[in-house]
Amino acid sequence: MALETLSWSGTCRLQRWHEIDMSVVSAFLVPGSPLPRIQGGNPPWDAMAKALSAAGDVLASTDPDSIVVYSTQWIAVLDQLWQTREQVAGRHVDENWHEFGVLEYDMAIDVELATACIEESSSIGVKSKAVNYDGFPIDTGTIVADSFLNRIRKPVVVTSNNVYHDMAVTESIGQLVAKSAREQRKDIAVVAVGGLSGAFFRQEIIPEDDRIFSEAYDSANRKMLDLICSGNCQKAMAFVPEYNEQASPEMGFKHFGFVSGALGHKYSKAEVHHYGPLYGSGGAVIEFQV
Amino acid sequence: MDTGKILAGFLAPHPPHLVYGENPPQNEPRSKGGWEPLRWAYERARENLEKYKPDVLLVHSPHWVTQQGHHFLGVQNLCGKSVDPIFPNLFRYSFELNVDVELAEACCEEASAAGLTAKMMRNPEFRVDYGTITTLHMIRPQWDIPIVGISANNSPYYLGTREGLEEMDILGSATRRAVENTGRRAVLLASNTLCHYHFSEEPAVPEDMSQEHPHDYEGYLWDMRVIELLRRGRTNEVFELLPQFIDEAFAEVKSGAFTWMFSAMGYPNIPGELHGYGTVIGTGNAVMEWDMSAAALA
Ligand SMILES: [Fe+2]
Repeated sequence: MALETLSWSGTCRLQRWHEIDMSVVSAFLVPGSPLPRIQGGNPPWDAMAKALSAAGDVLASTDPDSIVVYSTQWIAVLDQLWQTREQVAGRHVDENWHEFGVLEYDMAIDVELATACIEESSSIGVKSKAVNYDGFPIDTGTIVADSFLNRIRKPVVVTSNNVYHDMAVTESIGQLVAKSAREQRKDIAVVAVGGLSGAFFRQEIIPEDDRIFSEAYDSANRKMLDLICSGNCQKAMAFVPEYNEQASPEMGFKHFGFVSGALGHKYSKAEVHHYGPLYGSGGAVIEFQV
Repeated sequence: MDTGKILAGFLAPHPPHLVYGENPPQNEPRSKGGWEPLRWAYERARENLEKYKPDVLLVHSPHWVTQQGHHFLGVQNLCGKSVDPIFPNLFRYSFELNVDVELAEACCEEASAAGLTAKMMRNPEFRVDYGTITTLHMIRPQWDIPIVGISANNSPYYLGTREGLEEMDILGSATRRAVENTGRRAVLLASNTLCHYHFSEEPAVPEDMSQEHPHDYEGYLWDMRVIELLRRGRTNEVFELLPQFIDEAFAEVKSGAFTWMFSAMGYPNIPGELHGYGTVIGTGNAVMEWDMSAAALA
C-alpha cells in the first residue's frame, strides 16, 4: 500500500491511497427523481425504472457488505451529516410529486462504518455530525435509490450533500468512505444520487412528451457521459466545470465527484444503462466498472 | 356573504431556534431559552393577531419547495412530526393543523386563472415543512385558526430575481381575489428571514447567546435600511431596492413570500410596526406587522 499526500485546490489536504485491495466492489450514479419509482409505468420513465432495476441486479451480483448512498437531495448546511440510527423506516411523500402516493422505506444503517467516517473526517478538514432522530426526513433521492438498488437489503451508509462543500471536498469525502470501509475490511457498493442537466419543465406536461429541456443541454449531457464512459476519470472530472456552465447539473455534479473519490479516481470504464429526461432535466443510470 | 378582506400582514420568519428557545410541549428538545428579543417580538405580534380575530392565516414558506407550480395544502386535517433536516437537534415538533380547504382551492383556481401553474396537495400523509410550522407556532401557538399553506415555487432562483418575483406578484393578487370572493377575514404571514448569510458552525450550546450576533456588518446595515424604510411606510422604495438587497445580503425574501404578501395587500405605503429584530446563527430576522385598516385611512 503506497501513500502520498496531495495538496488539493487549497481547500483541504487529503491522502490518496493506491490500493490493490479495493473496498469498492461496485459503483453507480443514478438520478434521484421519484418519477421512475412512482410513475414507472409511464414512458419514458419506465425505461429509467428498468435501468435502475438492472443496476440493482448488478449491485447484488457484487455482493457488498454495505451500500454507501450519497444523495444531492439530502441538503446539509452546517456539517457533513451521516445517518446513524440503526434502522430508519417510514413513509415519505415527495414535496413536489405528492399526488403519486407514498414512498415506503426501511433501511438498516451500517452504524459502525458511518461512525468511522464521522471520526475520521477531521483528517480531511471536514466537520461531521451523526444524525440519529426518530422521524428525521430521509430525502426522496436516497429512498428511490435504496428501493431500486438495494433489493438485497444490505446495510447502508447514508450521507448528505453539504451545499458549502465544493467538488474537491466532496471527492475527499468519497475517498474517506472507501478508506474507512477498507479499514473495516468491508466491501462496499457506492451509489451517488443526482441528476444531469438541471433545466426542467415548470408546467405540467404529458409524460410521453417528456424530453431533455433543450438540444444544448442534451449535447452537453452526451459529452459528459462519453467522457465518463471512456474510463478516463481525470479527463471526465476536468470537463465538469465546463459542463456546469453548459448544463447546470444538480449541485455542480458533485455526485460524480463523490463516486470518483470513492473509486480513487480510477475505473476501467463505465456503462450507461439508460439516459433520458425526467420532466426536462437529465438523468442517467451509470455503472462504473471497478 | 360579505366581501372578504386582508386584515393584516406579518413578516414572520421561521428559524426553528425560536420554537426551541420557547420549549413548547410539542417540541421534543429542551432548551434554556435563547433568542428572547425575537421571541418577545412574536409575543407582541400574538397579542395583535388576537385583536384581528381572523378566520384564516395564510402562510407562504420557502421550505416547501415545489418545482412544478405553486402548491396549496388541501387536506382538512394534517398531523405528524416535523423534524428540521438542518437543525434536527433543535426542532422535532408534533403538529396538528386544520386547513381552510375552500379558501386554498379558491387561491389555487385564481392562480391558475392568472396563468400560473397551481396545484392542490391532497395527500393526507404529507409532512408539513418546518418553515410553515415554525411561523404558525410562533404567531399562534394555540393552533385554533384554520390555515392555508402555500409552497415556494422558487421561480426567483430558477428564472432570476426580477422575473421570479413577478410571478409572486401574480400569486399575491390571485390570493387577494380568493380571499375577497370567499368572504374570509384573513391575515397573511410571509415566512422570511432578511439577510441570510449565516455561520457554518453551531455553538456547543445552541442557545448560548454570547455567540449570537449578525454574520456580517454589511448584512446588518442592509437589514436596518430596509426595516427603517418599512417602518416609515416607504414600501415603493423597498421594492425598488429589493433585487439589490437580495443580491448583496443573500436575503431570503428572494424565495417570494414577502413579495406575495405585499402584492396581496396592494403594496400599501403604510408604516409597518416593528415588533422586534434579532439574529439567528447570524441571519437577520424581523417580526413586523402591517395593519390594513391603516391603509384604508391613508
Ligand atoms: Fe429559511
